[in-house]
Amino acid sequence: MKTLMLLLVGSLIFTVGCSKEKNYAEREIHLVSPEKIFGFDPIHASDQYSSNEVGKVYEGLYEFHPFKRPYELMPNLADTLPTVSEDGLTYTFKLKKGVLFHDSPAFKDGIGREMNADDFLYTMRRLADPKLQAKGWWLFDDKIMGLNEWRDKNAALDVANYEEPVEGLKKIDNNTVEIKLKRPYPQFLYALAMPYSFVVAKEAVEHHGKEFLNYPVGTGPFILNKFDQSNTIVYHRNPKFREKFFPSEGEEGDDKLGLLADAGKKLPLLDKVVVHFIIESQPKWQNFHKAKVDILEIKDANISQTIDEKRDLKPEHKSKGIRLFLTPQLDITFFAFNHEDPLFKKNIKLRQAMSLAYNRADANKLFYENTAYEAQSVIPPGLGGYRKEFKNPYVKYDIELAKKLLAEAGYPDGKGLPDITVQTRNEPVARQQIELFAKSLEKIGIKIKVGMNTWPELINKVTKKQHQMYTMAWGADYPDAENFLGLLYCPNQSPGSNGSNHCNPAFDEQFKAATVLQDTPERSAMYEKMNETIAHEVPWVFGFNRTKLYLTHAWIKNYKTIEFQHSQVQYLNVDLEVKKELSKKF
Amino acid sequence: MKENSLWRDALRTLVRDKWTLFSLVIVVGYSLIALLSATGLIAADWAQEVGASNLPPSAEHIFGTDIFGRSVFMKVIRGTQIAMSVGLAASLIAIPIGVLLGALAGYFGGWVDDVITWLYTTFSSIPNIMLLISITMILGKGIFSVYAALGATSWVTLCRLIRGEVMKHKEREYVQAAGAIGGGHLRKLFIHILPNVMHIVIINTSLQFQVAIKSEVILSYLGLGVQGEPSWGTMIDDAKLELARGVWWQLAGATLAMFLIVLSFNLLGDALRDSLDPKLKGK
Amino acid sequence: MAKYIIRRLLYLIPVLLGVSLIIFVLFNVIAGDPTAVLLGKNATARQMADLREQLGLNKSLLLQYLDVVKSAFTFDFGRSWATKQEITSMIKQGAYPSLCLTIPAFVISTVLAMLISLVVAFYRGKGIDLFIRLLCIAGMSVSALAYILAFQWFFAYKLGWFEISGFEYGFPDFIPYIALPTIVWILLSLGPDVRFFRTVILDEIYQDYVRTARAKGLGEIRILLKHVLRNAMIPIITYTVIQIPFLILGALLLENFFSIPGLGGITLNALNSSDFPVIKAMAILSSVIYIVFSLISDILYTLADPRVKLK
Repeated sequence: MKTLMLLLVGSLIFTVGCSKEKNYAEREIHLVSPEKIFGFDPIHASDQYSSNEVGKVYEGLYEFHPFKRPYELMPNLADTLPTVSEDGLTYTFKLKKGVLFHDSPAFKDGIGREMNADDFLYTMRRLADPKLQAKGWWLFDDKIMGLNEWRDKNAALDVANYEEPVEGLKKIDNNTVEIKLKRPYPQFLYALAMPYSFVVAKEAVEHHGKEFLNYPVGTGPFILNKFDQSNTIVYHRNPKFREKFFPSEGEEGDDKLGLLADAGKKLPLLDKVVVHFIIESQPKWQNFHKAKVDILEIKDANISQTIDEKRDLKPEHKSKGIRLFLTPQLDITFFAFNHEDPLFKKNIKLRQAMSLAYNRADANKLFYENTAYEAQSVIPPGLGGYRKEFKNPYVKYDIELAKKLLAEAGYPDGKGLPDITVQTRNEPVARQQIELFAKSLEKIGIKIKVGMNTWPELINKVTKKQHQMYTMAWGADYPDAENFLGLLYCPNQSPGSNGSNHCNPAFDEQFKAATVLQDTPERSAMYEKMNETIAHEVPWVFGFNRTKLYLTHAWIKNYKTIEFQHSQVQYLNVDLEVKKELSKKF
Repeated sequence: MKENSLWRDALRTLVRDKWTLFSLVIVVGYSLIALLSATGLIAADWAQEVGASNLPPSAEHIFGTDIFGRSVFMKVIRGTQIAMSVGLAASLIAIPIGVLLGALAGYFGGWVDDVITWLYTTFSSIPNIMLLISITMILGKGIFSVYAALGATSWVTLCRLIRGEVMKHKEREYVQAAGAIGGGHLRKLFIHILPNVMHIVIINTSLQFQVAIKSEVILSYLGLGVQGEPSWGTMIDDAKLELARGVWWQLAGATLAMFLIVLSFNLLGDALRDSLDPKLKGK
Repeated sequence: MAKYIIRRLLYLIPVLLGVSLIIFVLFNVIAGDPTAVLLGKNATARQMADLREQLGLNKSLLLQYLDVVKSAFTFDFGRSWATKQEITSMIKQGAYPSLCLTIPAFVISTVLAMLISLVVAFYRGKGIDLFIRLLCIAGMSVSALAYILAFQWFFAYKLGWFEISGFEYGFPDFIPYIALPTIVWILLSLGPDVRFFRTVILDEIYQDYVRTARAKGLGEIRILLKHVLRNAMIPIITYTVIQIPFLILGALLLENFFSIPGLGGITLNALNSSDFPVIKAMAILSSVIYIVFSLISDILYTLADPRVKLK
């Protein structure tokens, strides 16, 4: 028995001693996904991390320019921007020729065939298929002529009938598609840039059946034969990727930053992409600082480890060549009231008092190391409708005024006010954020309790209106303020995205009028007005517009933080010389 | 009485051994702290800010302060209340169920035994952690779900042990004698047999207590436990992020507090078994 | 013997029915409607109704219970709500990494615990006995989380002796990844093991045959290794066998922190996404394995010890 022990311990030490040599011949990159993903079916890619993986293999008709800001769409599988009829209802798309699907046993002889108009129309129908319960259906719900009717009709069948014509989805020729909308939908092209509508091949869907989510067959820059649910995903360059080239222009100053050095090169630039699933923050941080991971998003307590008070990278990281990217995010955090709760519905002064008592300065310091910005209203900076000069009179710290308003609301010093429970996710930081909120509000006599939930439970409570308040962050699905204003639009109330169930008929009218307009100064003016009127009502206690923090190692080239990350990796590059040189430091 | 001297002997041995004495003192001390905290005499103001955010331990703040400048020491005290209450509640649920079912099964045998054996075999077939997770998940979060979950899992061992012990005693002379002079089943079981198997309850409880405390920490860490009150589990959960900032004292405080009480219950359980279990008597 | 085994095998049926009943009551009766949970933030009422139908939640309770029972006997657990994966394939996928971690850890800790308890039993009552026992109990009294956080930071990150996290398939590639979690496992399980083994060995030491052997003039070490250990092996083996099912479940926290894609991680993930079918499947699966191994343990016990008569 002793020898067995010695053998075991011995082999343990031996193998620990000889870890693997690093590879400096291939251009490979190591990324982190902090959450498990839900497979590779585009129509279910509702969370950021699943979208990121779907986006490596699949492509949509459009994509966001990797460097230009404000965000700009560029054709991807589509050849050009579509021609739109005068009434804004009929879109004609030309698709690129010579785009090949990845090789897969689903195709004849196992060789990927050319993508065509039928594939795109099939993809759209698939989103509407009632049997599939696509998470991306909301994007096209009630938008395309005849599609809802098709969906309803097929709900009763065992298998949806894809052959049945849909008025709004028409094939003109092999590379031309005409789509008819029910009403103007200016966000339509954004919807076609989201992973939900990335193009799939009918053969692959049918060949793999329910296992389709593990066999991604796209047209994208990288190939994955099978998703095996382990904790790393390894992608390889798609050797048959079409002629797609690195862009030659970006935002002003990008060329000086060296972001355009690869202009004109054929994409993708990397041979291999490895994604590691690392849930806990300690191993994530440590793996980056051992150079096992090349790019890392910094969150929570790691922020203070990364930057100093002047928001500069700390010298111990600088000396290793690590680079810091601080980018304002298109998002907002908030404490939402349930406006169906009579406590909040009529009582605007109570809501205002709560907003005034919230100590945002402390929150910014404790949770974001002062990298976040106090949100004045629903629309975050960077979107049309946001006005820098606008300051919400109730987004400031004023205990006296808060007390006064609370008394006017009928609860002097909080007397008579019941305890209020705020629901959140069961994560330590989420809990601490409510604890700080509670601490702030205690000063005016309001008692706040914490309710912790798993993410699905939280969604469930909000959907069923079983909450008094909840806190959440909302990130942009696409760069249009409609995506944020819609959070307060009455018809969107639970189970829709308006979890606060806020209703204001005047606001709703303006919303209806503005959101059918194309992106024009006129529309921006309307958004501004809505944004600023609603701010006074304090439908939520506004929190922050956060800043994204990313670290990359010196050998990672062409990195620029992008809100819509799913197509980013094809533009990244690795400087192997630098990597070899610097790796000694780790 | 023979049994009386067993307890007296046991007590004497327990006090003689200094490690056991130490554990006894710790257990009593923690219980007192929990009691005082529950009645609001101490640590009622744990949520008060006592200093700046994340101060390291010093003479003033012995375990330092947390992110909101609250005293970590006070939170540890408050957490003691939660931990002990979880142990207590689990025992209060487990002991009546376990003793009653175990005694009935052991005494009556036959189909009663079959049903009860089936019941505890079924419960013990589901690994504890899975049952704990399932119950707290379904009942919703909060301290009462934790009580219920721990109660539902911890009666099983006790029931099995009591059943075995009662079976043995049933055949003993004194029980037979009690039967001969006309004692009914209930009288035999509750007046004669049960007092003689009570040591099993004591030993088992002291060991289950620490299991309950450890489980609460894990459940709170998984976000299934206590809400709105500091518990050692949530403190450790916080600490996993704060370590990155170099804030180690919250982890240290909670771990130390938990370490002492779990250690004490373990030592005490061992000592109790050594001195109370007649099988090991005299060794 | 054969009759006994058959009887024990038949007993599987009521126990499995019971396990299914507990699971069913928890997840189908007490738990609420999961559809809103499943569809995410933009669900429509119509979508929820469709999904209820698809999940079979509109069936009668009896039929739903029969579904649970069926899955316990066929191991067909359907698909996960969250990941949409086939649960059987998730379990197959996760079992390997879990076992790579738990089997070596289990073997090492059991062997180590045996050795320690022999030493402790040899020096029973002396200072070294007390010291080692204290150390073992102290080791198991520290929270697993504290070990993980401290060890990962110190041994893997600061000293660089081990991989920080991750996993690779195939021997010996996985060893640097599982080494550190294995050590944590050992620290946590030495305490209970040593404590149990010591009691068992001491039980034997005070038996009559040992006294006889001693009277015959046999050396203490020889008695310990030859006679005592052989007899103590019976409870030790049964104790050990009965622990094997828990290895399958993996180690929840260890797998999470060390990014080992095993069953523990799957369970935790299911927990965080309210993925009932996966939790149900894990509970049923682990129960079945537990029942099977407790049967094996009983049989071994009777084979090894002719004194035990079968009921």
